[in-house]
Amino acid sequence: MSGKNVLLVLILVTAFFLRFYNLGQNPPSLTWDEAAWGYNAYSLGIDGRDEFGRFLPVDYLESFGDYKPPVYAYLTILPVKLFGLNEFAVRFASAFFGGLTIAVTYFLCRELFRKAKNDYGLKVSLLASLFLALSPWHINLSRAAFEANIASFFIVLGVFLFLKAINGRNWLLIFSGLSFALSLYTFNTARIVSPLLIIIMSAVFFKKLFSMKKEVILAVIIAVILSIPFFRFMITPQAKLRFHEVNIFSDLSIIERTNQEMENDKKLTGLDSTPLWSRIIHNRRFAYFQEYLKHYFDNLSPSFLFIKGDGNPKFSTQDVGQLYIWDLPFLIIGFLVLIREKRGYWWLIPVWLIIGIMPAAAARETPHALRIETVLPVFQIIIAVGVIKIIILINQHKLLSRYNKIAFTAIYFTLFVNFLYYLHGYYNHYPFEYSEQWQYGYKEAIQYVKSHEDKYDQIIVTTELGRPYIYFLFYLKENPKIYRESAFFEREVFGFVKVNQFKKFIFSRSIMQKSSLLGRKLFIDVPRSIPDNAKVLETFKSLNNKPVLVAFEI
Amino acid sequence: MKDKILIIIIIILALTLRFWQLGDIPPSPNWDEVSLGYNAYSILETGRDEFGSRFPLILRSFDDYKPAFYAYLSIPFIKFFGLNTFSIRLPSAVFGVIAVFIAYLIIKELIKEEQGAKSLSSYLPHLVCFLLAVSSWHIQFSRVAFEANVALTFNLLGLYFFLKGLLKRSFFFLSVFFFSLSICLYQSEKVFVPIFLFILILLYRKELVSLKKKIIWPILLLFALTLPFYWTTFTTPNALLRAKGVSIFADQTKFLAKTAERIERDNKEHNILGKVFDNRRITYALAIADSYFSHFNLNWLFVTGDLARHQAPNMGHLSLWELPFLFLGIYSLVFYFFPRRVKFLIVLWFFTAPIPAAITTGVPHPVRTLNFLPTFQILTALGIVWFALFIQKINLNRIIKMAIGILFMGAFIFNFLFYLDMYFVQYNYFNSEYWQYGYKETVSYVKQIEKDYKQIIVGNDPPLEQSYMFFLFFSKYDPGQYLKEGGTKSGGFAEENKFAKYTFRSINWEKETRSSEYLFVGSSKEIPSSARILKTINYLNGQPAIYVAVGG
Repeated sequence: MSGKNVLLVLILVTAFFLRFYNLGQNPPSLTWDEAAWGYNAYSLGIDGRDEFGRFLPVDYLESFGDYKPPVYAYLTILPVKLFGLNEFAVRFASAFFGGLTIAVTYFLCRELFRKAKNDYGLKVSLLASLFLALSPWHINLSRAAFEANIASFFIVLGVFLFLKAINGRNWLLIFSGLSFALSLYTFNTARIVSPLLIIIMSAVFFKKLFSMKKEVILAVIIAVILSIPFFRFMITPQAKLRFHEVNIFSDLSIIERTNQEMENDKKLTGLDSTPLWSRIIHNRRFAYFQEYLKHYFDNLSPSFLFIKGDGNPKFSTQDVGQLYIWDLPFLIIGFLVLIREKRGYWWLIPVWLIIGIMPAAAARETPHALRIETVLPVFQIIIAVGVIKIIILINQHKLLSRYNKIAFTAIYFTLFVNFLYYLHGYYNHYPFEYSEQWQYGYKEAIQYVKSHEDKYDQIIVTTELGRPYIYFLFYLKENPKIYRESAFFEREVFGFVKVNQFKKFIFSRSIMQKSSLLGRKLFIDVPRSIPDNAKVLETFKSLNNKPVLVAFEI
Repeated sequence: MKDKILIIIIIILALTLRFWQLGDIPPSPNWDEVSLGYNAYSILETGRDEFGSRFPLILRSFDDYKPAFYAYLSIPFIKFFGLNTFSIRLPSAVFGVIAVFIAYLIIKELIKEEQGAKSLSSYLPHLVCFLLAVSSWHIQFSRVAFEANVALTFNLLGLYFFLKGLLKRSFFFLSVFFFSLSICLYQSEKVFVPIFLFILILLYRKELVSLKKKIIWPILLLFALTLPFYWTTFTTPNALLRAKGVSIFADQTKFLAKTAERIERDNKEHNILGKVFDNRRITYALAIADSYFSHFNLNWLFVTGDLARHQAPNMGHLSLWELPFLFLGIYSLVFYFFPRRVKFLIVLWFFTAPIPAAITTGVPHPVRTLNFLPTFQILTALGIVWFALFIQKINLNRIIKMAIGILFMGAFIFNFLFYLDMYFVQYNYFNSEYWQYGYKETVSYVKQIEKDYKQIIVGNDPPLEQSYMFFLFFSKYDPGQYLKEGGTKSGGFAEENKFAKYTFRSINWEKETRSSEYLFVGSSKEIPSSARILKTINYLNGQPAIYVAVGG
């Protein structure tokens, strides 16, 4: 094995280790989305139907009414069969494809810088894949069942195969189309990012594509056929409802504001109607454009990228940025050098970065590490370019080149310290500080219920902590057929689905209203809602010792 | 000749943008402005500030211990134009215009070092001058009595004479003089100027070394002028307290709670690595880094800005059209323009500007980082010049080139009109409450009827904080008389103050003596609408600001 292969294997081993080590235990528990992926995969694996009984759904999983793109559930069928219905199996696909993304990143960079002289491409490839392997952003998202992480894999793979096809392996274009098509069924933002990337790459490589008509036609046909269910879903009212709820353009206060501004101008000029210039500068399209820019730039804020990361503790440990602070100088230098030196398909990198953030900026919640995950590994490639430039500059410098070994050690050692700081936080503090964010307590409560359920006729559970039914299905490994027959659903105005009961499990926001039911009852509620006459049986605590759920009788 | 006309036009533009309706936009002086104004007035009339200190170097004011220099600067204007909003803002506006001109001179000095690339880059000084003249950031703080704006001009003068001094030594004295004044003027400069001087010395060390002994005198002058100010700042315990109050080290317990919890967990697990990582020094370092980098947030710079008092509504501190040119400018500075030394000067200047603000709370802060100016304008101008050279060079149809030019001008005109409207038309309407609007009308009304009442009680809870100073300012109350009555006892928040018939304290409507001899002035929070209200003064958007009511 040659030196470069040894290095690549080492990077991959590190990557997989960082993603699989303690996967079932940290993050400390499952979010409801993770539980839903797991149970839907379990259900699909038994009779080919999702939790609501739709046979082999390809357009969506209704789940909590959020219409999840279905790929993650299908990818999880096999792990659930192999390892059983547990945390590890649910997260397996994300960690596994996360690891694979590192490998594909290596090959992608080889293609990107194929035409660069010497071993420049090789160096960038190794460094970029190393940086992605160590990236807190990518590690965090690979260690929980985040479908975005799989979408990133498909997009990186799609771009890689596209470039490979352009560079002689024409037939790979078909697989590129396949990979992009799959990304549409994996995560929402890919539905905008993938088509835009394809359009731009096709425009740039137009001549080349023209010379390989056969493959292009075949790839287009396959991609179009595969996309039909997706397009049919996108024109349904459910899909529109979901978009309307999260996008910034439904914010009416902006129109009120611009109207007031035009009113002020009218008053100032003393005219009967708003003057034209005023209508131009206070155009609401411009106001919405500013709003869009604001959400776009949120995703580039230094605090988000380098210091604190995403405000949602599920995506970040809150004490390291989405990137390391170490990355900052190399990112700036890398960007300048990338544009200056114009090696390989350098243009694709800024284009990818700009496109990757576009869909997320239309949503109200920004910055959002998950929705812009499709920009990975662009940051890492730029950082790699920056690091290589610095190494070259040190080697060329009269004085510094004499001490280059020390300089390089210092550079990599600082990265290592950053990395250790992140790992220390992730393993020593993160689970304790944020276990509640991960809905910690459900599993413990359900295990208690499981060993005592025979004693009760009804088990009444609060919905205060969100969607308890899915955890009961998951941890009780409920037979999907029995569940579907015994469940009572409720579909709300905004499309959300609530499960109010299955078998003897009843879910309600204020559970005391259900206390008039006959028979022996076990209640599970949050500590602050326990009535005075309750006989507390067991308290379930988060990892930092705060009580989250209580089991009691009356 | 053409050169001169161009610069004169730009200066007139700068002048217009800074002086037009200076006393009315922003709609009202804020409390710092009235305090500077009345203290200047008091010093002019009596030689003492509101507390009775004789010719103070530091004004105690609202217990925030302001450097007194700005007050002294405004004395001649107050003497000439009387005590009003316009005259108190005038020094800032004047120095703002001077800064625009000095920026031109500085860039002219800097491009002397540039060889070749004559054609377009010879317009760089004009372009920077123009961009600073129309910069919303610079206009904003040139139109308010902010000592930071004057300090910026002194820094620019200091830099200009430093560059001049490299050729003619005597200019160093001027350079040192202006840098020292800047240090006296504004707290942030006490951090910025030493670092900036260090950078200058480092970059121009060869020239400075060749001057040998001749440089000692300017250095001695520097120490002689600045040391007293460092000395007074560090030896006035209250002034130091204020500095600590706005620093990130102020709120210890809450800030370090998470770190303390972590250390405890590490100790329990005997985690040695943890004891290193969960050190409060690292927590502080990260907090400082966060504040520092917050000044490079594109939202803050271009889209949202920060507090309402700091920019026109719905705008950042820079114009949106500048954004692409800023990036081009950074790129072209690194790879094209200027010899190495000037590149370093601009880059280091740029990165030094946010350092003083980085250790404070309430970041990003456009006043504490005013020294960013005009580096943003330099970078943007470089971007524009680079872009123009690029368009000139490439092979394109003339019509397309024209179209690009028109597009560029269109974007600029649109953005500039948008700014003018936002600042000169919309700003007062949307943000008058943040400028403590309403006192002027209130004072002139109350003055007419004051003879009918035995006592007048004015609220001083938010939004009427420090109301006594507004009444002193707008009624031009005789400072000698005020000091005779005891002057200000304490400038702290919500402290009771008194002069003549007026008492300033919080109003508790239920418990007040309800007599028709008592007049009350307060906000809608303090005086219920059921009271006998004589007059309501509204904010400019129509919401009630201040009520004047009779007690019984």
